[in-house]
Amino acid sequence: GVFAHLEMLEARAHEAAVKQEETEQQEEKLARLKARVQELRLQRDELRAKVDLQQKGQLGKEGVVSDPAQPSARAVLEWKIKSVKAMLQVFYLTGISGKLTKRGVCFCISTAYEGTYLDSYHLDLLTKAEVQIHRHSVPIFIPLEQIAKKYLQTDIRRFLSVLSDHLNAYAGRRYQADQLQGRFSDRIEGTLQRNSLCNLLVFNYNVSSKSKTFPFNARLLYGDLCCSLPTEVTVSCTPDAPASLAETAAAHSDLFRRVALHKAFCSFSSAEESVD
Amino acid sequence: MDVTVAEYIRRTVLKIPRDEIKTMLQKWGFLSETQLQTVNFHQIKENISQDVVQLCEENSADIKQAAVLDIIYNHIYPNKRVWSVYQMNKTGEETEFFDLTDFKKKFKRRLRSALKNVTINFREYEDNAVWIRIAWGTPYTKPNQYKTSYVVYHSQTPYVFISVSVLKSNLPLLCQALVVASNYHDIREMELRSHSLNSLKDIVFKRYSQNFQTYYPRPLQERNVAPESGDLRIIHENRNERERIQRVNQEVFGDGPQPKLEFAQYKLETMFKSDPKMGVLDEKEPFRCLVKFSSPHLLESLKSLAPAGMADAPLSPLLTCIPQKARNYFKIREKKGFFPGSFVSP
Repeated sequence: GVFAHLEMLEARAHEAAVKQEETEQQEEKLARLKARVQELRLQRDELRAKVDLQQKGQLGKEGVVSDPAQPSARAVLEWKIKSVKAMLQVFYLTGISGKLTKRGVCFCISTAYEGTYLDSYHLDLLTKAEVQIHRHSVPIFIPLEQIAKKYLQTDIRRFLSVLSDHLNAYAGRRYQADQLQGRFSDRIEGTLQRNSLCNLLVFNYNVSSKSKTFPFNARLLYGDLCCSLPTEVTVSCTPDAPASLAETAAAHSDLFRRVALHKAFCSFSSAEESVD
Repeated sequence: MDVTVAEYIRRTVLKIPRDEIKTMLQKWGFLSETQLQTVNFHQIKENISQDVVQLCEENSADIKQAAVLDIIYNHIYPNKRVWSVYQMNKTGEETEFFDLTDFKKKFKRRLRSALKNVTINFREYEDNAVWIRIAWGTPYTKPNQYKTSYVVYHSQTPYVFISVSVLKSNLPLLCQALVVASNYHDIREMELRSHSLNSLKDIVFKRYSQNFQTYYPRPLQERNVAPESGDLRIIHENRNERERIQRVNQEVFGDGPQPKLEFAQYKLETMFKSDPKMGVLDEKEPFRCLVKFSSPHLLESLKSLAPAGMADAPLSPLLTCIPQKARNYFKIREKKGFFPGSFVSP
């Protein structure tokens, strides 16, 4: 009858509705997935562009300008490392640099003379209780203990500064003595008498005047250990030398007090060349 | 020429390896180049030495010149002797102006005022080192050239390196003369001995490799130890541990070569700790024990112990403190930092 027919229609309608719902759901799903694909494609393209940029950047090509508002994290890190290294290099070049350690600080004092970098020395300090020198590589003839006794506990900066003065002055004196021995060995008679601190130099050298050579003796005493110029100079010639040479000796004595040793000898050579 | 001098020169030449004889005689400078050319340095050493003595006869060598040859030999072969290190002390703070002539004069005067029969020779070297050779006699006999002491002193440092050989009784006199000549107050022997003079110098002058932490960029490639070369089939199971050991070792020993010591000696004066039930050594007396580590190169072998798997890293500070404490003789007493704080006072 009619009810059966109605039931059948109802059932059909129900089925159709369900199917439609299913289809709609599927379509929705499809649409969502399509949208997702779009999103992902977009992201991929962005990343690709970034990679290309980085590669181009590494090859140094002036290609596409990267978005300045968004430098990559890697670029930022690299820049940071570079500027820290530069800062450390600057500190090293100033002559005194330090690094915190587990138990204190480790300092490095670098010496230089007239633009030439010479040796570096290290100090490993403990700072937990009172300040103590744990280890160091300072030469034994530098009065480290004396300097430490005076300044280490009260004023570390002063301690480092005074020590650095001693080390730099020593490096300068040694440099001058080495230069003298190396470059002017033909003018030196016999051996150059020196000592570990290079604060006493005694040597004989030749001075030519009117195509005759006369032996001079020089004794340079460096009374100030923080200074690379001598405090006392004695230049003497043999008793039988002509009187004019006494003036030359005095002039040399004065020169040694004011000018670096090897530079003084340079000026002797050039002066003699111009005279003869 | 004195017969004893001739014999002394002959014996000194015999000590020198044959290939080195000519160079050493040239360094000596006592025989002229023409004289040296008359000697056949390829014959047996017996004959070479005879020829050399003959030439020295022509030049009338005396003991002073013969002594110089001995100094040169010992300077080139210092490792044939055992060297001890002595430390000098002074209280004043005046700047030192080491004057070599002054030093030599004071030393000779002091020594000779106590003992007339000595032969004293000096020789200076480029590294500010003064070598002193002393041949000892007695108040009644001439100096015995075969009983010599050697002293090496670097100006303006508190350390003296002495190789005594036989007559230890002359040591106090020698020490006194050194103190006076170098303007110090007193001197004591350190607990540091070795055949390698240069290594002793490295230790007390702090020239050995110490690992200081600095920011100064050392190229990192240097530190990455050579890659596991060789067989790629070998996989190191405990690579982390190996790397840790390398790191710890480097922190302790540094990168460079170690000073060369032949032994380290530990004298124990500690109580024997045993299970009380065992009842061993009931009397509470220290257990006397001497531990001696010997090696052709002690510090290098200690450095290689942990990487070779024979010891744990880090090594005991008793072993690793040797260069820093500048000693290789230790007395270990009971308790409180069993560390050998006290020096053995003279």
